Amino acid sequence: MAELSVVLPGLSLSNPLMLASGIQGGSAAALHRVASSRCGGLVSKSIGPSPREIYPGPVCVEAMDSVILNAMGLPNPGVDAFTTMMKENNFAKPMLVSIFGPDSDTFVSIAQEMEKAGATALELNLSCPHSKPGSRALIVGQQPELIREYVRAVKDSVNIPVYAKLTPNTASVSIEAKAALEAGADGICLINTVSALEVDPFAGRPIIGNLLCGMSGPAIRPIAQRKVAEVALAMRRGEIPTAPILGMGGITTGLDVARFIMLGADAVQIGSALIYEDVDIFGKIENELIEFMEVQDYPDLNSMRGIALDSLEELN
Amino acid sequence: MTLRASPINRDDSFDLEALADSCSNRLEKELDEKGKIGSPIPLPIVDIVSESEGVKTIWIQVPSILVSNYKPGQYFMCWNPYDADGGMSRPNYNSEKPYSVGDILIDRSEIDEVIAADIGNKGRTLVGFTIKDLGKQSGELTRMKKGDWFAIRGPFGTNFPTPNAGSTLLLVSGGIGSTPMHMAAREARQKLGDKVIIHAIMGFQNENDVHYAARMEKLCDSLTITTDDGSLGIKGYPTAPLVELISNCDANNTKLFTCGPELMMKPVLEMAINSKIESYAAMERYLPCSVGACGLCMVGDRLTCKDGPVMEGDWLLQQDDFGIPNSH
Repeated sequence: MAELSVVLPGLSLSNPLMLASGIQGGSAAALHRVASSRCGGLVSKSIGPSPREIYPGPVCVEAMDSVILNAMGLPNPGVDAFTTMMKENNFAKPMLVSIFGPDSDTFVSIAQEMEKAGATALELNLSCPHSKPGSRALIVGQQPELIREYVRAVKDSVNIPVYAKLTPNTASVSIEAKAALEAGADGICLINTVSALEVDPFAGRPIIGNLLCGMSGPAIRPIAQRKVAEVALAMRRGEIPTAPILGMGGITTGLDVARFIMLGADAVQIGSALIYEDVDIFGKIENELIEFMEVQDYPDLNSMRGIALDSLEELN
Repeated sequence: MTLRASPINRDDSFDLEALADSCSNRLEKELDEKGKIGSPIPLPIVDIVSESEGVKTIWIQVPSILVSNYKPGQYFMCWNPYDADGGMSRPNYNSEKPYSVGDILIDRSEIDEVIAADIGNKGRTLVGFTIKDLGKQSGELTRMKKGDWFAIRGPFGTNFPTPNAGSTLLLVSGGIGSTPMHMAAREARQKLGDKVIIHAIMGFQNENDVHYAARMEKLCDSLTITTDDGSLGIKGYPTAPLVELISNCDANNTKLFTCGPELMMKPVLEMAINSKIESYAAMERYLPCSVGACGLCMVGDRLTCKDGPVMEGDWLLQQDDFGIPNSH
């Protein structure tokens, strides 16, 4: 049988299928629920310095086929409640703990609390606004100098691996990846949601409570694949330091996973698919991936990793 | 801020019926193409009727296919794109919430009766959401007016099973939990006629709170009303009259459905289990997203939004977080 296990900094996964941040992973009950599926690993909801309520609804809608729009507003129980929960629970799967904050000092203190509570790896959600005057219009992840500052600050303060989760809403994601990796990031996660807006013509206003929203679902998969390829190619060419890539965006099948792996991803994260189906979808995707690898004679993930990049290598 | 598309800016000559038809047609097209309403579709309120103190029914016009596919217990996410005063300030409360359908009306007033008999459901189909003023969003909804926008998406979630012919159905509601119980009674009567015995108990805080009693009386073989203060019916909670109802039932051929506060449903379900009666509860939890994304509506290891709202009584009674105060 095809070998699906993958070892990444701080995470030893039985298969490359991880939960994506923001879906269900904010409480012990929800994380246990996902862990009971055949996922290879968990990613928590992004945890901030204090409890946050969800935005006014509608917060998440299926706007059209393959398109999910959401603006949840990073609802989370806060670092104190979450670390207490972590200490009281033993999840069946490795967990990447996603964190966010209004400034680098907050990121550092949350990162230290998470490390103390037993986190084995962190994902920095850089798609949040910065509290510095003049920086609020842009999210941290759109400002390479801030990415550098945040990643370096967290890396200097904890001993566990740190992954940077990047936004697709920039001109060239390899610039942000370079900033994160040069500051010491142990891995890159991409992509976060694509900036979006939908209006109802009868009501004459946006259909999401927060007005502006992020787009996910199968429709963004090609966008995510291009971003993954861009970073993977930059690594291959030696333009940026090499590190593992976690790819995500609209994955719903085993073949989608193969696409990301072939473009250079080491593992993937799955979120929107849990909206279309239940957590059982991890088992379904794993079966499809195994069947595909066997019929194509790929003994393991390494044997197909990056093979689709060969055809892109000549591009400038 | 009052916005241009806000209904408050419409003049008196505005053709509400034409708009209701147009929006209903749009909904039907979405259902045809996608099989579900995934994104909120605004519909103009065609009528808003008071049921009791602080309880109102909002009527909207929908395509008949929406009604024929709906099963009692399922819910719609309901949203007011504008406040009752026409403003669209970004509210500091969750302005989209789950409500189950309370009533369905096929309006055949404009159709010749003889022809109507031949064309079944032909006529305007109206769906009523009965809402009690319990907070900011529900309060805002009860202040809506005819012609205001009311957006729905769904239906979502699990439903009550249809009872078997020759069986007995016990319906126990607390407060606004009346609405899914009414739809369950309505469905059972429509499908089984007099081949089902329906006993209902409706619990309310007081006389002024009583609603849906006339509707239930028409559908049920017996209706018992309880009020916490004894201002109408039996004083106390629905559990007291339930003892006698259960003792007169053939447990093997009876189902119990309940909807209301968890603190009421828990003893009701315990009584059913102790008498070996199959039971189901429609759960209400804080449910912001409805699609299994936020994970905030969990009971045990289940998501209320997708694995519920209707759940088996025996399963619920095994959950530590069921029926405790502030479990919402």
